[in-house]
This record gives sequence, structure tokens and C-alpha cells, in this order.
Amino acid sequence: MVNFTIEEVRALMDKPTNVRNMSVIAHVDHGKSTLTDSLLAKAGIISAGKAGDARATDTRTDEQERGITIKSTAISLYGNLQDDEDLKDIAGQKTDGRDFLINLIDSPGHVDFSSEVTAALRVTDGALVVVDTIEGVCVQTETVLRQALGERIKPVVIINKVDRALLELQVSKEDLYQSFSRTIESVNVVISTYFDKSLGDVQVYPYKGTVAFGSGLHGWAFTIRQFAQRYAKKFGVDRNKMMERLWGDNYFNPHTKKWTNKGTHEGKQLERAFNQFILDPIFRIFAAVMNFKKDEIPTLLEKLNIKLNPDDREKEGKQLLKVVMRTFLPAADALLEMMILHLPSPVTAQKYRAETLYEGPPDDEACIGIRDCDPKAPLMLYVSKMVPTSDKGRFYAFGRVFAGTVRSGLKVRIQGPNYTPGKKDDLFIKAIQRTVLMMGGKVDPIDDVPAGNILGLVGIDQFLLKSGTLTTSDTAHNLKVMKFSVSPVVQRSVEVKNAQDLPKLVEGLKRLSKSDPCVLTFISPSGEHVVAGAGELHLEICLKDLEEDHAGVPLRISDPVVQYRETVTGKSSITALSKSPNKHNRLYMIAEPLDEEVSKEIEAGRISPRDDFKARARVLADDHGWDVTDARKIWCFGPDAGGANLLVDQTKAVQYLNEIKDSVVSGFQWATREGPVAEEPMRSCRFNIMDVTLHADAIHRGGGQLIPTARRVLYASALLAEPGLLEPVFLVEIQVPESAMGGVYGVLTRRRGHVFAEEQRPGTPLFTIKAYLPVMESFGFNADLRSHTSGQAFPQSVFDHWQILPGGSPIDGTSKVGQIVQEIRKKKGLKVEVPGVENYYDKL
Amino acid sequence: MLYLIGLGLSDETDITVKGLDVVRKASRVYLEAYTSILLVDKSILETYYGRDVILADREMVEFASEDILDNAQTEDVAFLVVGDPFGATTHTDLVLRARSLKIPIQTIPNASIMSAIGATGLQLYNFGQTVSMVFFTKTWKPTSFYDRIKENRDIGLHTLVLLDIKVKEQSYENMARGRKIYEPPRYMTVGQCAQQMLEIEEIKKAEGAGGVYDEESLAIGAARVGGKTEKFVSGTLKQLCEADEELGGPLQSLVLLGRRTHELEIDYAREFAVDREGWDRIWKRDYDAK
Repeated sequence: MVNFTIEEVRALMDKPTNVRNMSVIAHVDHGKSTLTDSLLAKAGIISAGKAGDARATDTRTDEQERGITIKSTAISLYGNLQDDEDLKDIAGQKTDGRDFLINLIDSPGHVDFSSEVTAALRVTDGALVVVDTIEGVCVQTETVLRQALGERIKPVVIINKVDRALLELQVSKEDLYQSFSRTIESVNVVISTYFDKSLGDVQVYPYKGTVAFGSGLHGWAFTIRQFAQRYAKKFGVDRNKMMERLWGDNYFNPHTKKWTNKGTHEGKQLERAFNQFILDPIFRIFAAVMNFKKDEIPTLLEKLNIKLNPDDREKEGKQLLKVVMRTFLPAADALLEMMILHLPSPVTAQKYRAETLYEGPPDDEACIGIRDCDPKAPLMLYVSKMVPTSDKGRFYAFGRVFAGTVRSGLKVRIQGPNYTPGKKDDLFIKAIQRTVLMMGGKVDPIDDVPAGNILGLVGIDQFLLKSGTLTTSDTAHNLKVMKFSVSPVVQRSVEVKNAQDLPKLVEGLKRLSKSDPCVLTFISPSGEHVVAGAGELHLEICLKDLEEDHAGVPLRISDPVVQYRETVTGKSSITALSKSPNKHNRLYMIAEPLDEEVSKEIEAGRISPRDDFKARARVLADDHGWDVTDARKIWCFGPDAGGANLLVDQTKAVQYLNEIKDSVVSGFQWATREGPVAEEPMRSCRFNIMDVTLHADAIHRGGGQLIPTARRVLYASALLAEPGLLEPVFLVEIQVPESAMGGVYGVLTRRRGHVFAEEQRPGTPLFTIKAYLPVMESFGFNADLRSHTSGQAFPQSVFDHWQILPGGSPIDGTSKVGQIVQEIRKKKGLKVEVPGVENYYDKL
Repeated sequence: MLYLIGLGLSDETDITVKGLDVVRKASRVYLEAYTSILLVDKSILETYYGRDVILADREMVEFASEDILDNAQTEDVAFLVVGDPFGATTHTDLVLRARSLKIPIQTIPNASIMSAIGATGLQLYNFGQTVSMVFFTKTWKPTSFYDRIKENRDIGLHTLVLLDIKVKEQSYENMARGRKIYEPPRYMTVGQCAQQMLEIEEIKKAEGAGGVYDEESLAIGAARVGGKTEKFVSGTLKQLCEADEELGGPLQSLVLLGRRTHELEIDYAREFAVDREGWDRIWKRDYDAK
């Protein structure tokens, strides 16, 4: 039984002030999906009894089996506020009535799938950050929070699994308070680090009602606001005043019957208001139920005004606890209320998000439409991911309408990520077949969807690879392309077991690439089909999908291989020179390393080829010590026109230089995609064109002459600049009890791991170890760790940075690095020895 | 000895007697076949010369010149170039390499489009710098020729425009992949050239640097100069845009007239005019004694 209809949902969509688009984000296993269940139970999608076990948003069987979320899932909920009084607490934004539409996206917590989180965040305005009471803020909590703030998403927090603290750890009230307050503080530290002026202060405070506490598994949660409501009447004070008193150093002195902020009375310790008024009733329920004090329970229930069904009264132990707590403090009520009150509506959010969402100028019709969340403006819709349909090989395009209204049959411009206004590349004009509402595992057709809402589209998947912009305006630029915090650094090659299945594999790879924002599929130079993913687990899931679903044929899968990058560690010892085949054109080039910081900024999308060149030059000069004139003369980024290698024009007064720019840029893209050492992509290199001599006539300096020459001179300059090989490195965070720490250190040391932080979680025997671990050494790491710690250590690895592979020069075949290079070359079917600089360097 | 032998412009019989003697006695004969082409097949050359000829494409000349020069210190190697060896196209690089290998060199000149273009009736004394017109791509539209034409026109001289040929070129994609797959040959026509010239004029005008020539500027299109089917068409650039059919197949060139065009030149070229009245009228208006 669903307690709202599509018609009701559709009606609410027209009131964007009453829409909340939000994602649920957290570290893996902190209980997102379980918590989401409580909300669904409220909406009537799953039964209240099953909530907490059903994990309704984990729609795939492997998600249910592994108990983790792999793909993000969207669902629409209906929520309302009880009282007009409540509306007054919605600060800083308008509302229209007490009914609300909540579009919720449950996203995966495992780092390998954080590209899914990125896609979810793009289409939402608020985030419910779930933090485990015991484990606290973990590496992925930080990552997703950072991602959210980067997208200007406002967070609210729920501290989850409070039941475990009470049942397993048996902490005291004050300890629990301290633990809460520490966790909130560490969340706020992350938030304030990424402070964004336009978003304002979004730190969370329990006394403001932006933090909830609860247990997803048991289906209960509360915010201070709810208790304040109960006590406001009793004490005869304003509710908001009450909320402030119920957190922090506030005490009620029973002797003077007065509120105070001193913790003692005549030398005796007073009980903190939070402990006395909020934790005490909860502790008492737990104590009474779990100690089977049957006689105490009815009085306690009566006192707290909890009415149970006759059936439920018969239960005991954990079952009874669940029912009592759920009736006392229903999670859905607390969470819905918190989201409605504190998260921004699309109308509010799009005002400050428009400029970060849109690539074009802030004053064109598209941007103004987004800013005003105007359903009558030209359509601006961002497709953030592709969701497989039951129809094999077809996908729903999942996205959000930022402006205008989308409906079935509407003719739209489908602009891929490489579209540039005024050109026809990566552009299709097609009609939308159908619009649908995504409801967990199933979909419901809907006629049209106005600005501010989330939906699925049918019939777009053939024209977009993974994501893109849909618009009805001819002049609209793209909505900004998403940047992922993970990169595909682990790869495995696949081949079919039966040769006749090959076409199915090729088709399957295409589908796989579409269905996952972060997977890369390509054909290696030696003709193998390669799948690259963010980590071992991610890749494993992708390949399983490929074998069982997308391709549906038996596959042979190679061992995982690491993707390396080629770089330079010094400046070219001499200026490299290459002549064109007809010898009439000469290019002079010097290579040098690019600052690691600049490379990281480029990879994070903060310095990009699409920036205004003057603004970019300013940033490079002010923050990274570049010469402004050099910084203004960056010809291009590469590989793929966006990578972390730069080509800089440092020539002086060369006539017709811009006539060969295109050819040199093509050569640069080619060279940076396949470097001189092992034909791996290059990274973090800066190439300076020092001088150019050209033939007098354009016919003798065409692409045929210049492209290969540019590549050769780039190779020569790189080989003259102490080439190096970069390997990807994971940041591993391991939660482990003290007793098993020895095993962790042992495993890490054997695998070239480098521990840089070790911290005890206050109040627990758990230690958090942070270490850098080369991706190359990470294969089988989890299993190894499990066996050396009797399964007590829980690692999370996420790609962190690139580091120079130690062990000699890659062009010296006798060094360790040289050996690895030769292996790669052999695999690619290249000549084993690295070709020397003399192959590319021409003498004058 | 390395002999660079000009083949002239049209067919096998254009070779000089001196050149033919060398070809007959040389130990190896290469035919350079990418900067220009003869209007006849290699096999016809071979029958006429009575010996084998090795086709030398761009790759061979630019990347494997040592094969061509092999043993040339003691043997005679003939390198046949359509037109004149040092005419419109340059093979100086080959000569430089030969020199560094201490190979003696002799050149046997022949007619080139640079001189044969006189058949249009325009006096060679009145020509300025020669320019080439390349096939434009979506992103590559070199405009440097425009500056050369401007310099010529400023002092009233004619401009010979040589037209791009692509005999054996890789597409950029194939080049980047290192695949030796070649595109079908392409030859630019006078019509294409005139269109591209006007396109650049538009761009330059928009930049405020135009006005070097316009649709009504007079020009002569020449096809297969020196051959049996030689053909000239004269008219305005706009008229030449449509003249491809009349001119027929490759190879073609174009001359843009300078303001110093002599009365005799105009009379001679009137023969070829698409529209003779217009020809005279524009000449009187824009060129005569200006």
C-alpha cells in the first residue's frame, strides 16, 4: 500500500518551494540504506515491521547479498508538517502549504563507488549525512561531505546506531553526550574547512535542530526540537529557547528550580539538561525492556505517553524495544521534519547554485531560468547518470530539471560533455519518448515535470554516453560536467571464452560504460579489451555485471593491472629539436615538471581549459608562482584536452604560428595520451615551445608535416628531462582493535605501505590507522589483512595521489622501474627497449 | 652522380633529350609523385623510356632517402621530378643529404608552371610572389597567403596561386594510430580555390583588415597547362567559382590579376573570358591605368 498517488506527487511538483531534493551520504556501513527504509515505511512503500531489514533501495541482488549499496537509487516521498506553527521554523525561504515532496537518493558509501555519489549530489540540494556513533567521522564521510560542499549542497546530520552504543558498549549518559559532541565537532571541522561564502555557514548544531540522533535498524530517531516541543509546555518557555537549553553546558537545578550554565550546585554535580531530559527517558526504556522488568514498563510507557497495539504489548526483549522506541520516537517523523525545516528548496538552492552549475555567462536566459527555478523558462535539464531498465541494453536517463518543464514528446537539444555552443559536435536534436518518476526499483509514468524536480527519461540513452545537458534553448551552454573524486586506476583485460561471443562482449562493454559514471572501457594497443575501475571491488562488480548482464557470455578475465603515468622529473638538458619530414619546419621544445599542486588543481577541475584565460593566468600567477605572460599563453591541456599536462607557447614573434597551432595541439594530444617510455598517458608535464621555423608557404606546413613533428619533439624533450614513472597510491583507512594492530602493520610493511596516522577513537578500543599503499600492492590486500587480523580489521582504500615509482630510471632496462616498463611494452606488443632520444631528436 | 631531372608539365614526351639520355643509362630511376603529377601513367613512362621506374612517394623521399642515395657516389641515380626540379616544389633537402654523402649532383631543368603560366598572356615580369592554396578543414584555414597577395597587389603585380593536391595522404586519425591507410587522391579546382579566397576575404573584412580583392576581382583559371587539353577561363573570382566544369580535370592553377595589367594582357585573356563585356568593363573601371 502506497499512501500517496502519482497525481498528488505531480501536484506538489508545481510548488517548488515545497520540494526537497536530497541525497543520503555516508561512510560505508554507517547505515544509510537502513535509515532510508524508515522513511519508506512512513511513505507506505514497505511495511513498518520490515523497515530496517528490507533495504528497499538496494534493488540489486548483489547489493542485498553483500549488504552494501552499489548503485544510487532514487525515490519520491510525501511529507507534511503537523502544524502551521511549524512553518515558521522554516527560516529564510518561502513555503506554500504544509505538504512537501521529498525526492531522496540513497547512494553507496563504499569509496569505490563514490562516482555514484557525485552523480547523486549533482541533482540534489541537501544531504543527510549519516555518521556511526561508534566509528565517528571516517574517510568516506569526509570525502562525501567535501563533495557535497563543493556542489553547494547543504548538509544535515544524523548520528546513527545509537542503539549499539547503549546495548553493546553500555556507555554512561555523559559519555554518550561527549561522544555525540565530538562527532558533531569533527563534522563541523570538515564543513568549516570547505566554507563557501555563497552557501553561508552550514555547520550543524543539535540545538538548531540540524542534527538528529537515532537508530535506523530500530526505526527511531529524534532531534532536540522534538523534545523541546514536549518540554516547552511543561516549563512554559518558548520552544526555540528550550532547544538551546537542551544542548551544551545547560543544567536544570532541581533545588532552585532554575536553569543555569554552571555544572555544580553546592559542590554536587548537576545532570546536564540533555542527559536529564532526553537521554534519561531513552536509557530508562532500554534498561527496563532489556532487563525484562515487566512491571516497570507499563508505567514508563504511560508516563511517556506511548500507546502500543495489544499485539505489540506481548513482545519482549529487542522486539519490544524496537516497537516501543519506534512508537516513542518515529525516525521518519524526525528525519522528514529535519529535512523539511532545514534543507533548501530548489527555489532557494538554485539561486546560489546557478553560477556553479552553468558553464555559460551568468546573465543569459538559461542561467536566469536556473537561478529563478522558472518552469516557464527554456528547459535546462542535467542527466547525471544512466539507470538500466528491465529492457536489456536500454537505460533511463536520470536527471534533474533546473529550468523549464520537460514532457513526453518534447523536442530537445541533447548536448554531450564535449559540446561547445555554436558547434555541432556532440549534439543531437531528438524528442523525449517518455518521462517517468523513479520509485526505488520501479518507475511510474508521469506526463510532465517542472523545474526543481528529479526524473527519469526514456529514449535519450542512445544519444548520451553517461551524462549531459538537455535544453530547448539554441544558445544554452552546458551544465557543468561532473568531476569525480576517484579515477579509474585499476584495470583488467577481458576476453570471451568462445570466439563467436565477441560481438556480444563489444556490445556489453558499451552498455557497461554507460551504466557506470566512473568505469572506463577501451581497446589496448595490443588489441585487448580493457575495463578500468576505481578499485578492486568496483572492478569486480563491473565485471560481474558485464559477464552476467551486459554481455551475458562467459568471459576470461586477466589479473588486475595498474595504470601508470609517465612524467618528467627534471628540465630538458638541452632544447629538443625536431624537423618536419620535408625538413622545412622546425620545432624547438623544452619539457619540465608541472607543480604537483597545479596538476591536482587541473584534475579537480579547478583549473580547466574552459576557464577564461586571463582569470586562469591570474590564478596560476598568484597561487602557483607562474609568470603571467607564460600563463596566458597556455595552448592546451592534454591528454583528451583536459589532462594535467600543459603546452605553453614561449616563442617570440613567430609569424603564422597560429596556422600550425592546431597541428601542434593534435600532436600534443597524441603524445600525452601515449608517452615516449611505455605509451602510457603522461601526467604533470609542462612543455614549452621555445622557437619555431616554418616554410614560407602554407602547403608545406600542413598537418601531415607538423603533427608527427610535434609528437617527436615532445618525445625528445621528455626523454631529455629525466623521465619517470608514476604509480597510483591509495589512502587506506583501517579500523582495528588494538590487539590486532600488529597484524595490520605487518601486512602494510610487506606491501610498501606507509603509515602516517594512528588514532584511538575515544571511548572505544578501536584504532584508526591511516596509510598510503601503492595500488600495485593492493591486490588481495583485503584478504591478506583479514587473515592476519582474524577478520578484525576493516580497510577502506581510496585513490589519493600519484607517486614516482622508486627504483631507477624507466629508460634503463636494467633498473627495477625499467623492468616494469619493459613488461608493459611487451604486453602492448611494442619493441621491448624504450626507443632512445635519437629517434626523435634531429640535429641542426 | 645524382641527377635531378625535370619532366616538364604534361606527358612522357616532355622530357629533354639530355634528360632522356641520363634516364636510359642510369642504374636506378625514381619518379617523385606526390608534389605534382604527370597527366600520364607510370607505365607509359616506362614504355617510352624503355626501362623500369621506381615510384617514390612522400614517405620514401622524406623518411627513406638513404635508399634513393644508396651507392650514388659511384652509380648514376636519376630522380625525376614533374615540372622543374627546383621549380614550384623544392627538393633541396635531398640535395643537402647527397652533398653530405659527397655525392656529385647534376640538375637537368625543364618547364615549370612558374614559367608556363605565361601562356595565359600575362607577362612573367609582372608576377609577384607565388602562393599555394591548401584544402581548408573545419579548424585549419591558414590565411597567410592573403598577406602575400596583399603585398603583390599593393605594387600592382599578378599572383600565381598553386592549388593543393593530396595524392597519398593519411587522415589525421590514421596518422595518430600509425596506420598506413591512405585517403583517395584529391585535387583542388579553380572553383574551390576562388571560393576559399573569397571566404578568407570575408573573414578578413570582419576583422577590419580586408579589401585586398573582392568578388569582382579579375582572375584567370588555368588547367593542364602545356598539355594537349590545356584550357584557360578568365573572369571575376565569382565567375570562376562556377567554372570547374568548363576547366575540366586536374591539374589547375589560378592567377589573380594585378592592377598594373597591361592592355595587351587584357586583350589576350579576353579570349578566355566567361563574359567578355563584363571583363572589359571591370578592367576599365578597376585596372586600366590605375
